[in-house]
Amino acid sequence: MRGLLKNNIYATLSGGKLFGIFMCLVGSIAVSVVSQSLLIGYGLTGIVGFTVCALIVVQKEFTSKWGKYKLTLPVRRADIIKSQFWNHLIWLLVGVVFAGAGIGLSWLFHGCQFDQPLDILMLFALGVSISLFLGALYFPLFYLIGEERGEIILGIALLCAFVMDWGLISILNDLFGPGRTAILIETAALFVCSLSAFFLSCPLTTWIYSRKEY
Amino acid sequence: MENILELQQISKTFPKSNFTLDNVSFSLPYGAIGGFVGENGAGKTTTIGCILNTVRKDNGTVKLFGREMLDVDTALREKIGVVYDGDNFPSFWTAKQLSRVMAGFYAQWDDALFWHYLKRFQLLPEQKLRNYSRGMTMKLAIAVALSHRPQLLILDEATSGLDPVMRDEMLDVFLEFVQDERHSVLLSSHITSDLEKVADYITFLHNGRLLMTVSKNDLAYRYAVMRCRENQFRALDSGDIIAYRKRDYQIDVLVSDGEAARKKYHDVVVDHVSIDEMLLLLIKGIR
Repeated sequence: MRGLLKNNIYATLSGGKLFGIFMCLVGSIAVSVVSQSLLIGYGLTGIVGFTVCALIVVQKEFTSKWGKYKLTLPVRRADIIKSQFWNHLIWLLVGVVFAGAGIGLSWLFHGCQFDQPLDILMLFALGVSISLFLGALYFPLFYLIGEERGEIILGIALLCAFVMDWGLISILNDLFGPGRTAILIETAALFVCSLSAFFLSCPLTTWIYSRKEY
Repeated sequence: MENILELQQISKTFPKSNFTLDNVSFSLPYGAIGGFVGENGAGKTTTIGCILNTVRKDNGTVKLFGREMLDVDTALREKIGVVYDGDNFPSFWTAKQLSRVMAGFYAQWDDALFWHYLKRFQLLPEQKLRNYSRGMTMKLAIAVALSHRPQLLILDEATSGLDPVMRDEMLDVFLEFVQDERHSVLLSSHITSDLEKVADYITFLHNGRLLMTVSKNDLAYRYAVMRCRENQFRALDSGDIIAYRKRDYQIDVLVSDGEAARKKYHDVVVDHVSIDEMLLLLIKGIR
């Protein structure tokens, strides 16, 4: 597992570094100007963007024979998949840290730019759940449909993740209406649903991957 | 003789491409280099896939170190080094990063040995692999495959991107590797002159079928090709013919015992047979 995690982290770092620089630039603007929408955009981009970088790498491995070569290494197929899910979580955490730093600095310099501090929690819940839904959809589809269609699968998974979150929030808004309790329920629901989907996706992906031939 | 690798009746069908690997059986003893030849699409890579479990075989057994290797047998895979044709590793890495990653995979990864091979093969550790030439990437893959001290090396067209000088050096590396009689190499290659230099056994594949496995000694001293005229060919005993091929002015006939053929057919020219010629006779000739 150590080798697999190192492999995934090194691989994601190659694209993640560039995205990190981009986030620093956007972050410095978002922190220096007073704009709620810019801050929301920065936060969501940060949380989702790093995990997108991690997913792009999964496909990049198949442009060389590395995807096939890995199967000859002393690791189980199930561990290869687990390591990819772990990598997704690691980069999600990096995204959360970036977003948190930007929003925290903005609050420090200009005060809270959201209607209420609870909205920040909702923003993070939204970003994290989009990322988790994205991973939950991307991994099984990637191995099921085929490595050569990685970009299309990533696009579809990203759209579906947005739609799922949007749908979930709409349903909960209809049920509970606006208010502090509704936000808390929505936040919890987003976390629970996306985390459940993410953790259920792991054995499903393992099952699909264990039948793949290279 | 104890075998490091044994394949028995391996079958695999790909319905989409209509290709079938049909009951392939051969073995590789400890301390030997096995060559694997056949035209493109003969089934060499599929057979290697079945050995390494990257392809799921339909039937048959593959025994590595005396037992079948399952997905969970990671300890067995510690003892195997693999080199595929082309880019084995992601191009955005450097050899130095690759070493760090591989150290995480292999318990027996020997960093000093890896750096020794990098120096020996004149590879730059800090350079991105995307800037390596094809020959350099192949040399790097061979260095990686050797640096965790495996017992069995499996190379799928690994020497094809190398120039003759480097190929010769690699063949020396493989010969060094098997010297202690506990290590073996399975080498699939189109470059049959390489196999003639190093292989102890040569397995011929064609259209997913095993044609034959011959030892290097048998190839050098027993198998032969008779150059016959039409009337000489008609006088041959059919039991002596393995395969024959009509050429412009003669018929080449592959026989399993050149010495016996010389004694039996005095007026026919009997030549040594190369792997290339044997392959052509077996594939393009009539059996």
